[in-house]
Amino acid sequence: MSDPVPLAGPSRRSWLLVQLGGLYGLWLREVMRAMRDRGQLIGGVSRPILWVLILGIGLNPYFRGEVYGAVTFVVPFTYLQFIFPAVIALNIMFTSVQSAISVIWDREFGFLREVLVSPLSRATILLGKILGGTTVAVLHGCLVLVLARFADVPLTWGDVFRALGLMAMLAFALTCLGVVIANRIRTFEGFGVFSNAVILPLYFTSSSIFPLDPALSQAQTRVVYPDWLVTIVEWNPLTYAIDALRGTLIGYYQFSPAIGITVMGVAGVALFVIALYDFRRA
Amino acid sequence: MTAPASPTPAVIRLDGVSKRYGRTLALDGVSLEVENRELFALLGPNGAGKTTLMHILCTLLRPDGGSAEIAGHDVVRAPLAARSHLGIIFQEPSLDDRLTVWENLNLHGLVFGVPRALRRRRIAEMLALVELEDWADKPARTLSSGMKRRLEIARALLHDSEILLLDEPTVGLDAQTRERIWAYIRRLQAERGLTVVVTTHYIEEVEGCDRVCIIDRGKVLAIDTPHALRHAHGQQWLRVTPREAADRAAMLERFADRLLREDGAELVFRSDDAFAESFLGAFGTRIRTLANEVPSLESAFLTLTGRDLRDQGAGPRERTAAFGRRGGEHTR
Repeated sequence: MSDPVPLAGPSRRSWLLVQLGGLYGLWLREVMRAMRDRGQLIGGVSRPILWVLILGIGLNPYFRGEVYGAVTFVVPFTYLQFIFPAVIALNIMFTSVQSAISVIWDREFGFLREVLVSPLSRATILLGKILGGTTVAVLHGCLVLVLARFADVPLTWGDVFRALGLMAMLAFALTCLGVVIANRIRTFEGFGVFSNAVILPLYFTSSSIFPLDPALSQAQTRVVYPDWLVTIVEWNPLTYAIDALRGTLIGYYQFSPAIGITVMGVAGVALFVIALYDFRRA
Repeated sequence: MTAPASPTPAVIRLDGVSKRYGRTLALDGVSLEVENRELFALLGPNGAGKTTLMHILCTLLRPDGGSAEIAGHDVVRAPLAARSHLGIIFQEPSLDDRLTVWENLNLHGLVFGVPRALRRRRIAEMLALVELEDWADKPARTLSSGMKRRLEIARALLHDSEILLLDEPTVGLDAQTRERIWAYIRRLQAERGLTVVVTTHYIEEVEGCDRVCIIDRGKVLAIDTPHALRHAHGQQWLRVTPREAADRAAMLERFADRLLREDGAELVFRSDDAFAESFLGAFGTRIRTLANEVPSLESAFLTLTGRDLRDQGAGPRERTAAFGRRGGEHTR
């Protein structure tokens, strides 16, 4: 076949190099955008302060077992320490879902339309966006981590790095989840309601703000707490993610940390594959 | 088509392209060719299938039937090769509002794999081309809508594309800005030897194009130069005021079949070159005023589509877009 116009210069670059360059560009854009979004930053700062300082300090006295007299409640931590890892997760959740919404918005009306007609593969584009969202979410998680001193959570550098790894896994999985959900929503006007209907229930049922008493046996737990609540908490994947993070930060595990890592890894990969499938089709 | 190599080979070739959304046939066997270095306009009302056609050309949509080629590359079989020739400007602005003008261009260069040194040089060149050098470090959201369009044109050319697709580039702009954008498009096309395909529903804009394709309800109704379209499908009217009542009666008697209407003292005849000649031959000395209304593209369009360029209510997609423009929920 005769080629009436010679191929443009850029296409001489190797495929892999173009994909990597594009991945970097898309990632950089997400991070730069987030840094310039005052509203998001204010939310990222005020949310942990409210949760850690107000809720954490306010509920602190009611959390200790001795308040109730009988010792059926033996978590050897203050409430502030207990919810501190969960607040990190909360900040990551909000930020991840926000950037997930922007994936869909971008694809329909914004910048991504232009990227869709570039030499980048769909997987590169989606990965760039999601990694960007993940990075921003981890940064927002770090905003909480800075408050560790005030929450009386002593950290070594080793703890911090392990926590960062877990936070990145969590943020990646949640951003993918956000994209998968957003893809199934017809209009954006309904998304705010939907994200609140997903984020907060998922969060509250993940044993983030209260522990299921570890001193009780499985049968006893189901007597002390309503059966449905125990079932939801046990089925909520976020339970295991937050548990792994809490274990790393304050050394208190309700489950094996391997479960948390496995759940996040499997969920991250599976949700990315689903998101990519949707993204290719759309 | 298997025409022998002409001096200006077709760079875009559509052959029987169809696309269906559910029950609506958005494109119904569209065949057309766009020649190298041509300024080609797709004219049609909203919902005629113009944007669908554009999306098929830029490989965002797959045609249900038929084939489309860009510079010899099939858009379905070799989308990447086809895309590498294209610069695209979408109907909705697709700039990143929070990034600066320079960053928007740089990002485009990264995404399209333009090497660093070349990227920097081209960005400077393109900014000069669309006269936005002074705005390089300003956030894109501070630009006027006309400047945003110019930035998008610069961006579309950054990766050295030879074919520029513009989907309604002037929609929502004021008349002056529209004229300015068109001046850029024409200048670029002439200076850089670009092939430009542009969709519009403003008739006056296609007058300066090389060829116009009138499209409606997914079908190509006519493809020709604006001049030829006017003459083939447009209406020519002869407006005369007879000198005396007797002259009027004589005219009405002789050319009754040509009479379109009576406008008070004026008579309006459906005309063409031959009619005008014989009419003037017979009554040239017996008229007080005379106006020969040449055919317009507007009337050609009316004849072909049987209707005006219509406006329509906002669909769900437009409503969502408007929601985002109002700054709804983390969209921007």
